[in-house]
Amino acid sequence: MKLNWTSEEESFRAELRGFLQSVQLGKPPKDKIGRTDWARRWNATLCDNGFAGPGWPKEYGGMALDLRHQVIYHEELARARVPAPPGTGVAMCGPTIIKHGTPEQRERFLKPMLRSDEVWCQAFSEPGAGSDLPSLTTTARRDGDDYVVNGQKVWNSAADVADMAFTLVRTGARDSRQKGISYLLIDMKSPGVEVRPLKDITGGAAFCEIFFDDVRVPVANRIGEENEGWKITRTTLGHERSAGVLKQAAFYRNIVDEIYGLLRERGTTEDPVSRDRLADLEVQTRILQVNALRILSHIQEYGEPGPIASVNRLINSTFEQRLHEIALELLGPAGLLDGADGVQGRRWTYGYLRTRASTIGAGTMEIQRNAVAEQVLGMPFDPAMPPR
Amino acid sequence: MELTWSVEQEQFRAALRGFLDAKATVETLRPHLDEDDPVAAFDRGVWEQLAVQLGAQALAIPEEQGGAGASLAEQLLVLEELGRVLYDGPFLATVIATAVLNTIGPAAAGALLQGIAEGATVATLAEAEGDAFFRPPADTQVHIAGPTARVTGVKRYVLDGGVADVLLVTATTPEEPALVAVETSAAGVEVTPVRTLDRTRRMATVSLKDAEGTVLAVGADAARALAHACDVAIAALAAEQVGGAARCLELTVEYSKLREQFGRPIGSFQALKHRCADVLVSVEQSRSAVLYAAWASQEDPAELGTAACVAGARASEAYLQAAQENLQMHGGIGYTWEHDAHLYLRRAKSSHQLFGSPAEHRRRLADLVKL
Repeated sequence: MKLNWTSEEESFRAELRGFLQSVQLGKPPKDKIGRTDWARRWNATLCDNGFAGPGWPKEYGGMALDLRHQVIYHEELARARVPAPPGTGVAMCGPTIIKHGTPEQRERFLKPMLRSDEVWCQAFSEPGAGSDLPSLTTTARRDGDDYVVNGQKVWNSAADVADMAFTLVRTGARDSRQKGISYLLIDMKSPGVEVRPLKDITGGAAFCEIFFDDVRVPVANRIGEENEGWKITRTTLGHERSAGVLKQAAFYRNIVDEIYGLLRERGTTEDPVSRDRLADLEVQTRILQVNALRILSHIQEYGEPGPIASVNRLINSTFEQRLHEIALELLGPAGLLDGADGVQGRRWTYGYLRTRASTIGAGTMEIQRNAVAEQVLGMPFDPAMPPR
Repeated sequence: MELTWSVEQEQFRAALRGFLDAKATVETLRPHLDEDDPVAAFDRGVWEQLAVQLGAQALAIPEEQGGAGASLAEQLLVLEELGRVLYDGPFLATVIATAVLNTIGPAAAGALLQGIAEGATVATLAEAEGDAFFRPPADTQVHIAGPTARVTGVKRYVLDGGVADVLLVTATTPEEPALVAVETSAAGVEVTPVRTLDRTRRMATVSLKDAEGTVLAVGADAARALAHACDVAIAALAAEQVGGAARCLELTVEYSKLREQFGRPIGSFQALKHRCADVLVSVEQSRSAVLYAAWASQEDPAELGTAACVAGARASEAYLQAAQENLQMHGGIGYTWEHDAHLYLRRAKSSHQLFGSPAEHRRRLADLVKL
């Protein structure tokens, strides 16, 4: 399945491809610090040449691309194996600053964020506030022109390389839930900030814990009004999220084809039971591609992404897990090897372990099902739950 | 086409839904469910109105043969709506027969297509022998002399055989396959309706003894028509399954808001919410798969087989899941004859077997994509 591109779109693609080919930044270094620096250099280069922030407005250094151009943008960057901006600022915090920040905040934070001069990490979850995020207890007490922040955050990707954190902190009463939360930007070099890498089930440490001990943060770093941070946490720009869905579908298609290649080499694809498993994977992979294109078509026809967008995350997270389960299963005895002995540099054992997080992070599967049932199907709220 | 229904297509859907609300609801099926002769219950008047008022039967027929010159895509949209209300008329059979006749072309099939477009002729494909769908004909023999043919054999699982006027029979000469149009009123044709799990889907066994018919195609042309019919049948059934599954989920959610236990609506319990969300995921995935088939039929016909396998595999499972969950979440009332839950369950389960199981669709897909 392919989209039909206009000649204008094709020439945008050619221009972008030509530029990406001209960039000579070498291969990614193996170590984490080196890789982050390499990714920073890539994004600075993109930014300096006007190829960063596909969905961001032009006045903040972005490209202000419509959805179809964003799709081309992501396809070409994936093709050239350009690293994503390090950290989660550009995707998650930038849109919030753009829509809810003051002119001074936009001036101060956006350009360095887009250029990766400053890497950002998210600090929302806490040990006691996971699915029930509105119960968070990291406090920000007002003291003159500063807040004094105390508490602990967890599941912060890139916190160990981040310059800044975008956080949710409690500025209201202890039991104020969503009504007492503020959105605060914290300089990670401030005294009292401690970052500890968190070793996860893969053996690596993609996430960290952050401890705040009497950390002073200027009130000027608060986005939006005090106690009104909850509403702005999920700010997105235009159709950035929809473009991401297409990018992801293409990514999965490649992984699945790699599984086929691997298993064909090993002669596994002849066995009828294995074939059935793989055909099921093929069914799902093709549907993922259609889902993504459906969102695109729906936006073009109706101006909004339509019904599939609301269940897309549920579909993708289960799919990621399933494809790694099948890959390992069909590798047979070789699927139990790991580390230096693991098949293809342990990518399948690593992927199997890593994708356990797919149904936990950014809202567990269970929380998402609740949201779909209540917000899409209109099923009644649980009267035993706190009000939303 | 795009991978979504257009505004115009949605307007057509709304008109069709309005028609069905007035003329063909699940309620209208009720009085006939206990009858032994399922054929007698077929409301030919509604069928003709469907043709005259909405042109549903004419959609995929070229304008030269009195059709609307639309495509399989529009037929899939209609099937989705008919699946929602378990419509019992021969529309699925018509879609498959139309695909066969379109492949053969107007010279041999023009008159039949004209009759179908008007709603005057009901045609159905009679191909299954023994216990399998869409295999090359082996046991049904045909003797061809010029444009006429004489057919002998037994065809099973013939959709709407009891209400059809014309059978499109697959048969074989000593050398090659052939496709023959035989009128059900012809001498030597015996149509015996069979009772089915799904009482809203008519089927028959057709016995042909030296029955006279007209040759539609022979050799590679006949084989191509049958192969295309297979792809269209699976995609068409998937569209019907999506409609049924979506309706089941609506019924489940509606009931979960009304039914109270422990002093609260049962839909407020997470145990139900999660399963309803899972059904929605299945329904939406199946919708995507059907749109894929609709897209392929227009933009890349070579991919229709692949898309049909994807749609058949996914939608069969989705409908069964939705129908079983609907019955379960209705509790005791869902187990009664009076409640509609079992009608959808019967349709879902029998559709799960019709034209091949999900595992068979996957097996074919594995071959098509050269796994």
